[in-house]
Amino acid sequence: METDTTPIIPPLILSMRGITKRYPGVVALADVSLDLHHGQVLAVMGENGAGKSTLMKILSGAAAPDQGVIALDGKPTVLHSITYARKRGIALVHQELMLAGNLDIAGNIFLGAEPRRWGFIDRRTMHRESRELLDRVGLQISTRRTAKLLTAGQMQLVEIARVLSHDARIVILDEPTSSLSHSESEQLFRIIEQLKSRGISVIYISHRMEEVQRLADSVMVLRDGRNVGSMDRASATREKIVSMMVGRELNNWFPPPRRFSSDKVIFQSQDIRVVGTKKPVSFDVMEGEILGFAGLVGAGRTELVETIFGITPPISGHARLGESQFCPATPRDAIRRGIYLTPEDRKRNGLVLGMSVAKNISLPDVGSYRPRWLLRRRFEEKVATRQIERLNIKTPSARQIVGMLSGGTQQKVVLGKWLAMRPKLLLLDEPTRGVDVGAKAEIYRQIRELADAGITIILVSSEMEEILGMSDRVVIMRDRAIVGIFPRDKVTQEIIATKMIGE
Amino acid sequence: MRRELGMAVAVVVICAFLFYSNHHFLGVPNMIDVLRDIGMLGILAIGSSLVIITGGIDLSVGAIVCLTGVLIAKISSPSTGGLHYPLWIGISVAMGVALLIGLFQGFLVTRVGLQPFIVTLGGLMWIRGIAKVIIHGRTISFGGSGFSSLANHGVLYLGHHEAILSFPFLAFIAAVLLGIYVLHMTVFGRYLFAIGGNRDAAYYSGLPVRRVELSAYVISAATAGIAGIFYASFIQNAGPNVGHGYELYAIAAAVIGGVSLRGGEGTIVGVIIGTSMMEVINNGITMFHWHYRSATGHRHTFHLGTHWQDFITGAVILLAVIFDQISHMLARRKRLKSQAAKTS
Repeated sequence: METDTTPIIPPLILSMRGITKRYPGVVALADVSLDLHHGQVLAVMGENGAGKSTLMKILSGAAAPDQGVIALDGKPTVLHSITYARKRGIALVHQELMLAGNLDIAGNIFLGAEPRRWGFIDRRTMHRESRELLDRVGLQISTRRTAKLLTAGQMQLVEIARVLSHDARIVILDEPTSSLSHSESEQLFRIIEQLKSRGISVIYISHRMEEVQRLADSVMVLRDGRNVGSMDRASATREKIVSMMVGRELNNWFPPPRRFSSDKVIFQSQDIRVVGTKKPVSFDVMEGEILGFAGLVGAGRTELVETIFGITPPISGHARLGESQFCPATPRDAIRRGIYLTPEDRKRNGLVLGMSVAKNISLPDVGSYRPRWLLRRRFEEKVATRQIERLNIKTPSARQIVGMLSGGTQQKVVLGKWLAMRPKLLLLDEPTRGVDVGAKAEIYRQIRELADAGITIILVSSEMEEILGMSDRVVIMRDRAIVGIFPRDKVTQEIIATKMIGE
Repeated sequence: MRRELGMAVAVVVICAFLFYSNHHFLGVPNMIDVLRDIGMLGILAIGSSLVIITGGIDLSVGAIVCLTGVLIAKISSPSTGGLHYPLWIGISVAMGVALLIGLFQGFLVTRVGLQPFIVTLGGLMWIRGIAKVIIHGRTISFGGSGFSSLANHGVLYLGHHEAILSFPFLAFIAAVLLGIYVLHMTVFGRYLFAIGGNRDAAYYSGLPVRRVELSAYVISAATAGIAGIFYASFIQNAGPNVGHGYELYAIAAAVIGGVSLRGGEGTIVGVIIGTSMMEVINNGITMFHWHYRSATGHRHTFHLGTHWQDFITGAVILLAVIFDQISHMLARRKRLKSQAAKTS
């Protein structure tokens, strides 16, 4: 055998060329190309809204590109449906796990492809083959376990087992570790290595640099629906990728740091115990302060702000707002006292998507317009227009249906609905999730302006930069308890990361 | 509004067609009947549509129509089985009971957290059940009481012996005006739409979701009670099968008129049009004539029997939603195309 010093590049299994996809009002992808080699891991990186999900939708047959060519093994192909893409060996493991909670593991693995015998489901074969698949992904639990009893990590592994049962040659993992524990992630990485060694190619979408550096053979970066760079593992440094992803200095996103000092406590949580937690939490917020809540997904931050907002009243403990007691039983109570929440899931909890911008903005306040016996549409539209201008909401008019707007614009509508009232304490739960880069910067600027105007803000965010760039103080939560409260100038990424992950 | 416009055109076309086949269709006696029918069903449909707009459903209104009639007959009828009390007592008790039923069902839906379908499906049975028990499954006639004048009299006689605008139709006009005001011009109406559009978002926006929903069920039961009074007056007796299936006619009228069963969508104007469609077809089936000559030169007239009614009504409901869906899809395709043209 001759020894070859140049690395052997395995043959291309998939190439996408000039992929363009438009949605109403946005170009989600513009002339994007992607190359995937046999048995390699390609990491796809990019901010929220950079076009990663759209690209993967197209690859998995869930959406058709407006332009562009997809070639499998060098042959142009049209992936006209999910079923067909799957038949061609392309399988997507969703970020939101999509198991049927009422079925057992085997039933989920073979969902839609149940082995049959005499027209009946052949359960014995199903369980036997499921067992083998679970062994391959290193999951040592019964195939008869009901899916809803599994942990997020176990579900992820079942999803992967399902993908393996389809003889997938290309496996797409969409932020697979976002809800996994450390050991579960390790297990996943081992499985990915195994997949590679069996010649299966993996497209790995992730925000986490460490994972990418560890797993990926090559990295491609998307920004605003365009390719901004591809590189192999050796040249993929953190700085390089981050600068590609955001295309500008990180600092420019955030308003300049401010020096905040106040000793007027506006809101005080005294040993509040949120439903489903053991430990009570206590903290103070000063008037006009931005208090950042950092933590991993599931650390109990959303539950905490929802408790403050009156969605699920606490088991014990109490809160003070200003000089008086504050114990809301419903959001209505909280809103009356000037505490407003922009929820994490804005489509589900924040907006009536079928209603216009104006009607959404007026919704919490329209009941207090005068006169009470007649809806004042003209006035309502005036109020909305003021917020549209103030927040630079990109909508053709106040009468536009909210569901037609982009994620960032929708988020601004949610914000506008509260700013049209008199906020005292704003609870912002992941205010920039799914928001494009431009709108993000604007939202940050708004948050700061509000704080400067004396409105208190509790900012829940899973993005480290956001916490560090915006907060005056940082609260770190882990396992539904507060594990540290730091002033901004005493906290670093490392401190937050170690505190929120645990020792 | 597109759906309403399309259905309005369809109603006009059907009317023109019926008039062409039988000139008596637009004659005064028939119009009086059609308008009265529209009025009685329309009152029901307006109440039902408020519930549907919140994302719920009320299957009990037909049974409430029955029970109100039975209560009035039992309490106030001078004939056998009646208790001979004054009419106003009978009507007040019947309306009171209807309101209580609405309150009870609304309570089960909003406070106990049961599904509207189940609660009102139960209502559909037990409410009629009570009516049957009260009258022992028999029929009570209103006999010589003046009650029948409620449905058969009205204003604007113009030389006919029947009023052009019957009381049920006038009550319907009042219900329409009130409905337009409540649904489209008040905060309460806005809340109904918001709750139907996204219940969670409405709750997170501080809306009194449960109170508003409860009110919708009470209003629906109240309109059913009012309709029940008119129906009883119109047929001049109260029996165990009165109002059978009316909840479905009311829902169909609402849906034909563009009220979405998913909630959050609909207009009173649409409900008027949907109701008109239902009743015009209902009436048209008996009015429709087709004259033709057979090969031998004899004149024949083709009639549709009333047994056609269910088939044609069902077909119209399906056609209405199919056309609506198609026009939605076309609009969306057009929008996407124009967007694509703009962005490229």
